[in-house]
Amino acid sequence: MEFVRLCIAIITITFIGWNILYALSFRYKSNLHFSERLAVSYGLGLGFMSLGMIFFYFFNIGFTPLKIITPWSALVLLNSIIYFRNHKKATLTAAFKADDKNHRFLKTFFIIGIAFEAAYAFFRALIKPLESYDAIAIYAIKAKIFYLSKSIPHDFFSRVTFVFPHPDYPLNIPLSETLIYLFLGNLNDQLVKIIFPLYFVSILTVVYFGIRRFANSSYALLFTFLLASVPQFSAYATNGYLDLPLSFYCLTSALFLFLWFQNREAVCFLMISAVMAGLAGWTKNEGFMYCAINIFMVVLFFIFDCREKIWSKLWYLFTYAFIIFAISLPWIIIKKSAGLVNDEISLINYSPANLISQSYKIVPIIYEFQKQAFGFKKWNLLWIVLFFILIVKRRFIFIARERYVTIFLFLSVSGYILMYLINSSPIEWSLGRTWSRFLLHFLPLAVFWMATILKEDPRL
Amino acid sequence: MKGNIFKITLGIWLILWVSFITRELFRKGYFYDYKALIFRSLEGKRSYVTGDRFYEFLTFCNERLPPLANYGWVGVEPESVDMRRAAYYLYPHLEKKDYPDFILVYDKPMIAKAGYETFIRLDYVRYILKRKGDI
Repeated sequence: MEFVRLCIAIITITFIGWNILYALSFRYKSNLHFSERLAVSYGLGLGFMSLGMIFFYFFNIGFTPLKIITPWSALVLLNSIIYFRNHKKATLTAAFKADDKNHRFLKTFFIIGIAFEAAYAFFRALIKPLESYDAIAIYAIKAKIFYLSKSIPHDFFSRVTFVFPHPDYPLNIPLSETLIYLFLGNLNDQLVKIIFPLYFVSILTVVYFGIRRFANSSYALLFTFLLASVPQFSAYATNGYLDLPLSFYCLTSALFLFLWFQNREAVCFLMISAVMAGLAGWTKNEGFMYCAINIFMVVLFFIFDCREKIWSKLWYLFTYAFIIFAISLPWIIIKKSAGLVNDEISLINYSPANLISQSYKIVPIIYEFQKQAFGFKKWNLLWIVLFFILIVKRRFIFIARERYVTIFLFLSVSGYILMYLINSSPIEWSLGRTWSRFLLHFLPLAVFWMATILKEDPRL
Repeated sequence: MKGNIFKITLGIWLILWVSFITRELFRKGYFYDYKALIFRSLEGKRSYVTGDRFYEFLTFCNERLPPLANYGWVGVEPESVDMRRAAYYLYPHLEKKDYPDFILVYDKPMIAKAGYETFIRLDYVRYILKRKGDI
């Protein structure tokens, strides 16, 4: 019975996400494959439903599954009316490369490998209840508090949250866990972990179809398999940490932005990208860095590659930034009003003088970087292969569509280096604890980058 | 040449992939964990991952602490994963650093704490102290 309730929860979340995606796509099918739409819908549904639950706190309303679903039913109704009136008009042409009939053995092998990794991720996640450090100490405890009081308690941000570590962390996943508990009708901290392998599968799906837009299926399967088989990546699909959910939102925000750069008629891609960037900020504090990177990418694109009128550019830029801001606003209001601040990183430390004084940290940072690069147990050969491609294919990294992916990755690494420079914790401790997790945030995009660079070489 | 580089890289990748999964299952003992976990109830799984002995004490504390009473710890390392799991399982009881209503003592023979008296014992080294006076 509990399993049936869990299935109903996941289907409801994905269905609501599907409707949000439909609304964002302006009824266009937006060139998304059915599986890709499912993957995107899952992340959208979970992100928006948990964001909606914050408004229950503002209006002092308790949680029940019905109360949480009800506001979204208006959107479902509106979409249904639009769909049945106009659905024939709403299509864009398919954008995937023709499938290849060769490499049957390899394709079968990669499919089995990916299926094994996905099944193993579900097994590992669901065999144990939540138990790892951050999963329990920061996220699950908040979900338990919300579930037991069937609301966000009125004194939560002023008193209770300070008893537990990192009160400033956004509540996307704690509220998502609460949502699953509400559907289950009990505090089953084992089944709730299904959230994480579902993000894992969603990332693989988005990467696969991202590559399928410029390559055949065996090529896309190869890189999807490489990503799925990275030990650190699959391990974090099972332990209740937020790094994979953040990775999903970073990946989708970046990929849909790049898709819009290639096809500016499909404004829905820009909307999806903005929404996903906003949800990245709603998932983890590092997500705000990706919001800034995304906005910067739009600015870069307008400066170097876009011939539209200045007003049109400003309108797109304003809309993009506004959507991100609007999604981040509820959490920003709570943080400001409750005085929730990060105890390790502060904007005060961004002064040039401070950055220079902290420059000695570069040495341990580089040391940790190489340690991870050669850390086969966590990353297999991934970073070695990536650096090899970077050197051998250097002519291709700043051409056409690849340059934005390259710049995005470069800014991500630079952003984290900057965070380490202004971090008040001892650098070795901080690096050892976080860098291998931060790498996960842009790992799917790094795999996508490898696929685009290798494909760009006409000799391959 | 390029085809060979690709084949060699993929070959090494696959060997490492299989060896890491095998290593994790057998050398790191995950297989034995899965075997032990698979037929346990949810409560049994919580007990297994927390440590049966520690979880038994947490369950004991949950049953004996009055509603909304706060607590402090003796015998559990501050900021450790055990401490975090305890905070999770003992909620809605909240931890309090200074003068908590109750002190939970784990793996320490009888300790004398000024202002506290023995409240209840699970065994000789696992027990609860209560603050003297009204709570």
